[in-house]
Amino acid sequence: MDRTACIDLPAFPLQILLRKHPDWRLHPAAVVEADTPQGTILWLNERARAAGIVTGMRYAAGLSLSSALRAAVVPAKDVEDEVGRIAELVRRFTPRVEPAKDEPGVFWLDANGLLRLFGSLSEWASSLHAEIVRAGFYASLAVGFERFAAYAVAKGTKGRSRVFDAPADERAAAREIRLDRLAIPPAARDTLVKLGVVTVGAFVDLPLEGIGVRFGPDLRRMHRLASGALSQPLEPDHPDVPATRRLILDHPERLAERIVMRIEEAIGPMLDEIGGKGRALAELSLAFRFERMDEHVESIQPAAPTLSAKLLAELIRLRLEAVRRLPDDVTEIILVARETAAGERQRELFAGKTRRDLAGGARALARVRAALGDEAVVRAELRDAHLPEARFAWVPMTTLPEPRPRPVTEPHLIRRLYTTPVPLPPRERHEPDGWLLRDLKQGPVVRVNGPYALSGWWWGRPVARDYHFAETKTGEHLWLFYDRAKSRWYLQGEVG
Amino acid sequence: MYAPLFCKSSFSFLEGASQPEELIDAASARGLASLALTDRDGVYGIVEAHVRAKEAGIHLIVGSEISVDDGSTIVLLARSRAGYANLCRLVTLGRRRSEKGRSSVGWREVYEHAGDLLALWGGARSLLAREPDPFFVGHGLREAFGDRLYAMAARHRRVEEPRQEARLRQRSARLGLPIVAAHEVLYHQRARRMLQDVFTALRHKVKLADAGRLLAPNDEHALKTPLAFDRLFEDDAAAVARTREVAARCSFSLDHLRYRYPAEKLPDGTTSSAWLRTLTFRGAAERYGGEPPRAVVEQLSKELALVEDLDYGGYFLTMWEIVRFCREQGILCQGRGSAANSAVCYALGITAVDPVALGLLFERFLSKERAEPPDIDLDIEHDRREEVIQHVYAKYGRTHAAMVANVIRYRARSAVGEVGKALGIPETALDRVSKILPMYGDVEPEAMAQAGLDPEHPTHQHLIRLASEVLDFPRHLSIHPGGFLLGHEPVETIVPIENGAMPDRTVIQWDKDMIEELGLFKVDLLGLGALNQLHEGFDLLRAHKNLDLSLATLPKEDAETYDMICAGDTVGVFQIESRAQMAMLPRLRPRTYYDLVIEVSIVRPGPITGGMVHPYLKRRGGEEPVVYPHPCLEPVLAKTLGVPLFQEQVIRLAVVAADYTPGEADQLRRDMAAWRKTGRIERHRERLVSRMTAKGIEAEFAHRVFDQIRGFGEYGFPESHAASFALIAYATAWMRRHHLDAFTCSLLNAQPMGFYTPSTIIDDAKRHGLTVLPVDVAISGWDCELEAAPRGDGTRPLAPVRLGLRYVKGLHEATAKRLVEAREARPFESIDDLVRRARLDEGATTRLAESGAFAAFETNRRGALWDAKRSARLRIEGAPDVRTTESPAAFATLDAFESIGWDYATMNLSPGGHPLEPLREKLAAKRLPDASQVRALPDGARTHYAGLVICRQRPGTASGVVFLTLEDETGFVNVVIWSKVFDKFQVLVKTASFLGVSGRLQVQDGVAHLIADAFWRPKLDTDPAEVGSRDFH
Repeated sequence: MDRTACIDLPAFPLQILLRKHPDWRLHPAAVVEADTPQGTILWLNERARAAGIVTGMRYAAGLSLSSALRAAVVPAKDVEDEVGRIAELVRRFTPRVEPAKDEPGVFWLDANGLLRLFGSLSEWASSLHAEIVRAGFYASLAVGFERFAAYAVAKGTKGRSRVFDAPADERAAAREIRLDRLAIPPAARDTLVKLGVVTVGAFVDLPLEGIGVRFGPDLRRMHRLASGALSQPLEPDHPDVPATRRLILDHPERLAERIVMRIEEAIGPMLDEIGGKGRALAELSLAFRFERMDEHVESIQPAAPTLSAKLLAELIRLRLEAVRRLPDDVTEIILVARETAAGERQRELFAGKTRRDLAGGARALARVRAALGDEAVVRAELRDAHLPEARFAWVPMTTLPEPRPRPVTEPHLIRRLYTTPVPLPPRERHEPDGWLLRDLKQGPVVRVNGPYALSGWWWGRPVARDYHFAETKTGEHLWLFYDRAKSRWYLQGEVG
Repeated sequence: MYAPLFCKSSFSFLEGASQPEELIDAASARGLASLALTDRDGVYGIVEAHVRAKEAGIHLIVGSEISVDDGSTIVLLARSRAGYANLCRLVTLGRRRSEKGRSSVGWREVYEHAGDLLALWGGARSLLAREPDPFFVGHGLREAFGDRLYAMAARHRRVEEPRQEARLRQRSARLGLPIVAAHEVLYHQRARRMLQDVFTALRHKVKLADAGRLLAPNDEHALKTPLAFDRLFEDDAAAVARTREVAARCSFSLDHLRYRYPAEKLPDGTTSSAWLRTLTFRGAAERYGGEPPRAVVEQLSKELALVEDLDYGGYFLTMWEIVRFCREQGILCQGRGSAANSAVCYALGITAVDPVALGLLFERFLSKERAEPPDIDLDIEHDRREEVIQHVYAKYGRTHAAMVANVIRYRARSAVGEVGKALGIPETALDRVSKILPMYGDVEPEAMAQAGLDPEHPTHQHLIRLASEVLDFPRHLSIHPGGFLLGHEPVETIVPIENGAMPDRTVIQWDKDMIEELGLFKVDLLGLGALNQLHEGFDLLRAHKNLDLSLATLPKEDAETYDMICAGDTVGVFQIESRAQMAMLPRLRPRTYYDLVIEVSIVRPGPITGGMVHPYLKRRGGEEPVVYPHPCLEPVLAKTLGVPLFQEQVIRLAVVAADYTPGEADQLRRDMAAWRKTGRIERHRERLVSRMTAKGIEAEFAHRVFDQIRGFGEYGFPESHAASFALIAYATAWMRRHHLDAFTCSLLNAQPMGFYTPSTIIDDAKRHGLTVLPVDVAISGWDCELEAAPRGDGTRPLAPVRLGLRYVKGLHEATAKRLVEAREARPFESIDDLVRRARLDEGATTRLAESGAFAAFETNRRGALWDAKRSARLRIEGAPDVRTTESPAAFATLDAFESIGWDYATMNLSPGGHPLEPLREKLAAKRLPDASQVRALPDGARTHYAGLVICRQRPGTASGVVFLTLEDETGFVNVVIWSKVFDKFQVLVKTASFLGVSGRLQVQDGVAHLIADAFWRPKLDTDPAEVGSRDFH
């Protein structure tokens, strides 16, 4: 007879929150839907409950009951990541794991064929439970025969594992479980409680057709599962394992050329594997393990997703040739591919030729990136700010867009910024030769326009500058400012 | 010296970062002679600025920055009264067509309203400095304003400005416009720049860190000294000189507003004074049943002479007309406040208190010295107030009638919430701080620490400082509950009118304090639930008991009614039902109407903080002789046994004992009303105490009088106001004593109002022998109704009250109406039939089932719920009935405990019983007495008690003491919690609905209080239903 098991990590988002803020365990704490006073409280700890706070309340209402209430949002992504981590942990005990899609923190497991490994299912269950607890979570575990029954018992068991030897025992235990422990839509759950239907057993005793009419297909399905009229097989998830190669060098190697050759040997089969999945390689990460130094990771990004070993090898070569000899002996190289659908690239094959060879440009930039690093290719992105140096930011450029020059109605002077403002010598009180900003060759300042004041950012790093445009005797136009806080002149840039 | 012509105050909401007074003070400090206040699309702040400018000797120029529909702006300044009227009209146009908070006018409208306005065209948002060239607009403005149009060169040391100014100068030269120098003042000093940044972030709903170029690039918007302004425009001294020229051309002042009240339609050839006199004496004859007594005639003549002298006749006629409208429409109304001091108001039927009989002071209402317009507040049945409001609009028109605004200002909580949001502090953390902060008061750093935020963190320090700075700044405008400004001329020529948030409401840009400051009339139409209740109560008596009564014809001074009042048995009685009032009644023992006037007034912060309550009670009980602090005070205090209890007495006391001049006394009254806002009351302390002690009055008494003045400022009652309320209190008490059925039914239909929840009202009525029947879909209407009284034994039987569908939570009136209509067409055969014909949705159906309203079809509520769910689902899905194919389901019936729980869950009350009734045996087994047993215990007895919390109070006057009222099926237990005990048990006390208390009983004058020393959760296997508690702070 098939054996199945269910793990429940109750109030999973709250457990994640309290792991992040361990000091909150000493206070009433809650997970809220949104970071606003009107955010609904979704989960809360015992201290919060003791203060009279209940789920469904607004955060503001909870606060009125306890001013010490701590609350935060747990993003869905965090929950998803933690589910992945727990699933990974559980896979050490059984290969077939199904995380519940709508109820994070619940996992169904295949408990067949484990006796040889663990001696008994009880041993298996207690080892698994202990492992989850070691990972910092509170959990309960039920090992039985039916999916729903195991689920109900796991939900109704507090912080321990239970193993059933006979299906009848499991079903009887499930009948006793209170419905409010299960993930039933709150409205349906409340109505059932009002009807005096508080346990799984009482629920199963209601007429199936009546359930369907009143509570809809989901509860009807649950009724069928609970009564045994419907069984649902385990649907283990298949984690998306990227193509990976691990190259162990029997003789630690430092020469880049030889290392590249080893990598090239592995790339071909790796790309075949990716291609076999109907995908293409978007990025290749290379993790180098050294004999003495810490691990180092490089990433290679082709201009477009590719399955070309030649192209990839060329990019790797460009990246590694720059060093010729690595700083330490490499003992192991791990290649991990980031895969993507190949469709877009394929579509490009049919696209008409544009006037500019964007793909060629992108390839060239990819080579530059490969040779000099990802940060080597950047573009200026405009920012909405007052300070000259804050009005743009350099951001890595991964794609080469079609140029779209804006029409210019009247010519503009171009101001060139220094990367950092250049400090100028203090202005003398008596300037017999005029105001000299640099040297005699440049000549004194003959005309000054300004000041134009820029100040603010008091909530972060306060700034107070008086800007001027200065014209020197030689006709240079300089962009200066006087920093009020530092009482000093700086050259911001030049106008030309 | 220059004149700043472009200044925006905090009344340019979320833009200006200084109060109008701060701008005036700063102008004065900088030696400026004039200042123009030009708030965005409004004149909200000019009254405050006007008052301060008069004090400081500054010439205030009134203007506004007007938003035009092309996104640009123009600054307009009023030269004269006519120009000001044009400005107000233009702003009204822009505001009325826009959604709340916005305004927009077209250029053509600007031209049309140009009369006697000066226009300053320029600044960053004007077309004059922008591309493309505003050729047509420029010529239009030139034509409309002529030599009153100036090009405004505004400088703020921004890099783009020279280029814009060059354009402006070139275009103004072409148009022949003189250049006037300016800078846009947004705050009075540079330090306010931070607050201005915060406002900008809030206005654009972004955090400061993300605000980018939405923020001003520098702090050049502070009011400049003449020297700094000259330096800013050192290249154009003529433009600076022109600021003075502009200032000199603007001679308008708010003092020029001459307000005329709308003249009523008068019979041919009659003046308003003559018509008022006729109506007054006609009314007096009705009031007194013939020729009024001589004293009344003398009083009326005196009042009418003054009214005529001050030309206020129209105002009285308007109030008379509104009252007449109410009477014609069968709407109960009654004047309150100082109007009750007027015999004319009494004769006209505006008020119901005879001021001559009661010896009330007319001067409190109207005096020649004060020369202030009278203030008549009219209480109107709450449910029908809107009819009266719409009548006023219809009669006077939207141009001549508008509601008074209520300026919502930043308080500590809102300040922390909004400033913190701009600073990027998580909202949940801000909410935590807000909850800890007091409703009024400062932003305390301790609150930050308590909320888990480090007060030393720079961001939190910014929060504390800026939130403190923004306190009392206006945030936005709302509508005053019932204040109207009416005018003979269009109101929009006095102050702009804009749309309120409520549909069909228009509101002026000034609040009641500003109106009072300018001496303008207002009419207050206030809603009062007790009048609803009385109206319905009288209707029920007429329909069910054939008794035709009204407020005027109720039996007077009924002994049985006073017996009930003296016993503190006053649940639901207007004004004297609270815990504190109930505790006072057996001590004060009111036996006459005037005793009730005192009772209404005495349980207020004024007398309490002034320590006047105990002396009064002792004197009344003969335990203390009636003596006066000074012989001169005997006429003032004789009515209240030598103890000042009323606001009028305190003011007269200041005049008599501290030699206050009429002007000082008037200032005292104003300062009392606004002490929270201004704190000005403190300036009277020294003056009062020193002058009183100089007269030989004990300093201790003088200090107590001052404390009382402060208390009155908060919630004090004038005698006339108390007299009006006492009338309603007596009427409701009489009805409760003699017709509990009509009283309870009408009170339940007038909810929400009063001190107690409907459940408490019902339980109390049941303890007095009334039967309350459950909601029944086969019988109930929307409202509660009286059913036929059982045939009795000769005594007056009480008619049972049938609960109305209004008490089923979440059931809308329209749904109930459909149900009743369907039932009247044909009785329902089943739940299915009802659901289909009344088109009930699932929520309404299930709630009715759970409330027991389907008892006519299924007595088991669980069974009814099971059926109701099916019926509702099938109706929604339009599916056929599947009952035939459905196996039956059996459900346990509800026991008494569950029934009451279900009642509370669906109606917040239970006609079946009190939630503790089914638990009494269990409670008794734990040796816990019921409320009646507790009350019977002797003074000093120690006891434990468990009851449901129905009220929590922490009055500001009680030094942290908390009062709880617990209830069970036998009545109330009043619990007193000293602050130390409260601090220890506050979570339990604040959150538990069912609460156990241990303490010692204190019995005084038959009033029992349990002085708590510990609280606990009663340990029963089941908890009773949660009842709602009315909590007051």
